[in-house]
Amino acid sequence: MLIDFFSAVGDVLSSESTYINGALFAALLAFAATGEWVAEKSGTLNISVEAMLLSGAFAGALGYHFTDSVAVAIVLGAIGGLLIAIVQAEMSHRLTADQFVVGLTLNILVFGLAGFLDREIDPQATFATKLEIPLLVDIPLFGEALFGEPWPFYLLYGLVPFSWWLVFRTRWGLELRAAGENPQSADVSGIDVNRRRRQSIYYAGLTSGLGGAFFLFARLAAFDDSIIGGRGFIAIAAVIFGGWTLWGTMGGCILFAGALSFQLSLQGLGYDLNAELLQALPFLVTIGAMAIFAKRVRPPAALARPFIRGLK
Amino acid sequence: MIDSTTEMTGAGGNGPSAPAVELTGITKRFGGIVACDQVDLALHRGRIHGILGENGAGKSTLMKVLIGLVLPDAGAIRIDGQPRTIHDPLDAASLGIAMVHQHFSLVDQLTVWENVALGEGGRLSSSEVRNRVTAISEQYGLEIDPEARVGELTAGLRQRVEIIKCLRRDPHILVFDEPTSVLTPEESEQLFGTLREVVAAEGRAVVLVSHKLDEVLHATDEITIMRQGRVVARMPTQEADARSLARAMVGREVSLRSERAAFGLAEVDDAGLDSEPVSPAEQKTASPALDSIGSALRIEGAAVRGRGGAVLLDDLSLELKAGEIVGVAGVEGNGQRTLGDVLSSLVPLNAGRVVVNGAEVPAGSPGAMAKAGVAVIPEDRHDSGVVLDMTVAENLLMVNPDRVARHGVMDKRRMVETAQKLVEEFDIGCSGPDAPLWSLSGGNQQRVVLARELVAEPHVLVAAQPTRGLDVGAIEYMTDRLRQTAFDGVAVLLISSELEEILELSDRIVVMSRGRIVGELSSADANLETLGLLMGGSAESTAPDGPGLSRRPPDVGAGL
Amino acid sequence: MTRGARLAEWVALYAASIVAALALASVIVETTGGDWWPVMEALVDGSIMAPGRWGETLGVAVPLLLVALGTVISAKAGLINIGQEGQLLIGAAFAVYFSFLIGGPGPLNLVIIMLFGALGGAVWASVAGLLRFWRGVPEVLSTLLLVTVSAQAIGYGLKQDWLLLAPGGDRGNRNQVSSQLADDNRIPRPDLFGNEFPITVYLAVALAVVVAYVLARTVWGFRLRMLGHNARAAQRAGVSSTAYGASALAIGGAFAGLAGAAMFAGGGFSFGNYQLVPGFSDNIGWTGLLVALVARERALPAVVAAFVFAGLRTGAGFVNSTGVESRITDVVQGLLVLALLVPPAVIFLRDRRRARAAATERV
Repeated sequence: MLIDFFSAVGDVLSSESTYINGALFAALLAFAATGEWVAEKSGTLNISVEAMLLSGAFAGALGYHFTDSVAVAIVLGAIGGLLIAIVQAEMSHRLTADQFVVGLTLNILVFGLAGFLDREIDPQATFATKLEIPLLVDIPLFGEALFGEPWPFYLLYGLVPFSWWLVFRTRWGLELRAAGENPQSADVSGIDVNRRRRQSIYYAGLTSGLGGAFFLFARLAAFDDSIIGGRGFIAIAAVIFGGWTLWGTMGGCILFAGALSFQLSLQGLGYDLNAELLQALPFLVTIGAMAIFAKRVRPPAALARPFIRGLK
Repeated sequence: MIDSTTEMTGAGGNGPSAPAVELTGITKRFGGIVACDQVDLALHRGRIHGILGENGAGKSTLMKVLIGLVLPDAGAIRIDGQPRTIHDPLDAASLGIAMVHQHFSLVDQLTVWENVALGEGGRLSSSEVRNRVTAISEQYGLEIDPEARVGELTAGLRQRVEIIKCLRRDPHILVFDEPTSVLTPEESEQLFGTLREVVAAEGRAVVLVSHKLDEVLHATDEITIMRQGRVVARMPTQEADARSLARAMVGREVSLRSERAAFGLAEVDDAGLDSEPVSPAEQKTASPALDSIGSALRIEGAAVRGRGGAVLLDDLSLELKAGEIVGVAGVEGNGQRTLGDVLSSLVPLNAGRVVVNGAEVPAGSPGAMAKAGVAVIPEDRHDSGVVLDMTVAENLLMVNPDRVARHGVMDKRRMVETAQKLVEEFDIGCSGPDAPLWSLSGGNQQRVVLARELVAEPHVLVAAQPTRGLDVGAIEYMTDRLRQTAFDGVAVLLISSELEEILELSDRIVVMSRGRIVGELSSADANLETLGLLMGGSAESTAPDGPGLSRRPPDVGAGL
Repeated sequence: MTRGARLAEWVALYAASIVAALALASVIVETTGGDWWPVMEALVDGSIMAPGRWGETLGVAVPLLLVALGTVISAKAGLINIGQEGQLLIGAAFAVYFSFLIGGPGPLNLVIIMLFGALGGAVWASVAGLLRFWRGVPEVLSTLLLVTVSAQAIGYGLKQDWLLLAPGGDRGNRNQVSSQLADDNRIPRPDLFGNEFPITVYLAVALAVVVAYVLARTVWGFRLRMLGHNARAAQRAGVSSTAYGASALAIGGAFAGLAGAAMFAGGGFSFGNYQLVPGFSDNIGWTGLLVALVARERALPAVVAAFVFAGLRTGAGFVNSTGVESRITDVVQGLLVLALLVPPAVIFLRDRRRARAAATERV
């Protein structure tokens, strides 16, 4: 029995599909987590990322339904995420409503709205074409997972470094970090703190929307309101797990997606390896990592603190 | 702009031509209060312009108008003769106006060069910014490492970053707001040297906002004095003397020693002021004989480490007897705040102990110090002194709500009565005990703190920067209260960066530097020079004429 | 501004916001081919007007209010607990486990259910408390992450017959379900004017009054508020942020756990069938959090808010018959919450400006 189990683990680890699935999950998380990371650097703990992903997936489905073009659908997906971001940003960083209330409400609202519209319209979707990069795709085990994916996957290879560059190498990024670390000082230096924060939320909306649409066309090809299923929260966990560094965040995405894919593959082979534990793993690992590192790893100093001029 | 070169004649200035900045009729109201009332001000290139006034005289508001943080209700701004509107700091920056802020404009987590680049427009080029930082620091002798993280710098170095941040934009007009509060006298001297250079060599206009007479007399070319939102006098500095300035500033003859201390006059001007100074030694005779009384507060070998191992307090020992006032002098950021925090039960000790009235008190344990009889007037009352969103009555009962409670339930009627009594006794200006604390003025908030702390009948009173941000009447009230408290047998620890205040009130003075006590002086031996040297860390001796005194003493108070 | 004018302004702003939210919902329904008025009618019928419905709504309002009260307490201490959904689930699980473990006659078992429900919620919230005050982990993150962990933990427990899973004979062909609570162990549901609701309604309203009183009038409440407004001033005045903060979180969790127990033993159409199943919490924790926030973290307004939100849920049951997908009620609820956030924000911003202006006498 135990030997069977270990041989099954061996099968899973040596099966390409484990890595392909893992890469798809990781990509979904990475799209969302990259934007979330930018938002958190500016001082917003954006918990509506779940809503942004779902909105992106649904807008993608709608886009394909009406245009039959995956490319257009992907763009509409990004816009779908952006729409949620605009509501979140305007409510929390212009009207100064509590960012968590707004985020939670948006999660519920979008879940209801997507479910409602899905039943009323029933949009159809498809698989995006795969793009295989010659030679690289032939690398054993990892090749297809990293270089034989549906084309929107490759956007990530540009998006992640671009986000890093944006935050650490541009004036916009500098001002954003200042807004996340010390909004009072940033304000005195002439930076519109809440504007930067809103923009960072827009960015999170765009990348999350992209991620949601990507997942729709890469993995399921049919919209369902459970398509995201709490993975937005895993993306937030990844940012925290990564200690608010982009590379740590990506590490978190890969780790959590790996666990997810590992469990699915084992299940496929008929082994129900404590599915609940594996599902809870990203959260347990993140909580554990925070418990160990919270006193050493420093979140942006003003994370989740609203900024109102003249009010500490 | 065009003919500015003609008047780059340096200090003193020749005849004024078209001013670099001209403010006319600036008026700003906040609710019913007029912060600036028809203020006119002209700044000229090549001159340092001092704006003198008490706290609350409207200087800060005027400057905020100039750099775009406050929009005036009325009035006009002309820059080089052109009428302009300044909506925000970016507008101001584009017009060449920059301000060196005291405490607020740096982001600790960013590097020096990133801070310098913050708030500019255009593309970000790190190498270009770094080169400029290096160039500026060489040009003005403001040595700094552009890659250093600002959070790890001392207060003096942080101010350098602020100045570089300003100069980097190559402003025509530089505003300094109370720049010396974080500096040693020596560093202040250096700063004024830099200012001269900035003005003389490059024809910039500099504004020095201050409430210290000596500073303004020493470092400026012309002076504008404000009182209650109005300009009450303006004159070339050569024609000014301390006495007339003080009179203009307060609106009456200045006689009280505490007032003179508040303006930095204690050691400055002995010609102009007529009253007889009461020496601290004489006052002491009024209080009970100190030697026969045991110690009220003893701190032994206290050490506190901050985040990342930074040394905040380093083997600090201190003893206070009942009825004496001990002043803690030092440049801001040398552990005074931590000392206050330890005595407020806010910070635990890594080593050492605190003994109050013979009993050891667990530092950092919530409320332990207050319970043991240590009252605190904190440096920043909004930080740990009051709860702005609670009522006056609630704030007065914060430490000991059980006084008006039965079985854990607070008796509303007794609460209001108790509070009302204190409101009357301490003359707290408010609409009633139920008024939210934020509706009170700063001075009245401070009285709430004072009332609450004194009514608990403490053994020790810690007063950290007790007069900061208060107006003259409130300062007088506060200093009288402190004296009275000591007279009543309470040990008073006065932590202040205003040397004059310390010299004025203390029986004994200790100097803090880098978290340690680096010297102790009796008030008879202390003066600005000896204190200044100790503060700068240039003397480790406890005697005023120790070996560390070979350096040239700072020139504070000398004429031009 | 006079009191009257202020009140009128509040009412007008709230009315305008609610109308705007409903108008937006109607646009969504109409553009997808549905009719809005029947939906509105169904909502009102399903929540109040139809026979027995307001009793049903009261039954749903109970756990919402309990969760909201807990949220109010932790919020007063300045803590952001957003993990009520998980605390509620764990509370329900504790109630189920100990109810069947200890057994006992009806009323006594009911007490056990309520006590252990509260305990379960408190324990779960205290995990976040421990992480916060021992390791410095922000409670907003840990409570959030623990929600998913709790759902998985319940899913696991419902697969183990030594934990929550019903014995073979009781579960029929379902594989993740607890035993059903016996008739005499359930919360009584007396009938009033043809409406049946659990007597926990009285308990919940009484608790709301108690919470309001404790926070406003007791020394404990005073110190808790002090902590929430200014932790450093509180620390100096002798309020231990660890002791008070951790207990506020625990009490908040206890209320959520109590809500879970009340759902389990209270019946009604919304909450399972006196059984614990996956998805048992059914977003009651999240919604209860929203109730507290819409009530602006005050106990008595939460009573009203809980009823309104409960009405949206019970009303949803009637919407399907109009031919419009019942999920529209989630949309209406979301839009309503967003709309309710606007008036206080607008007034806050304006008052702040005025207060600042007034407080800046000496700039």
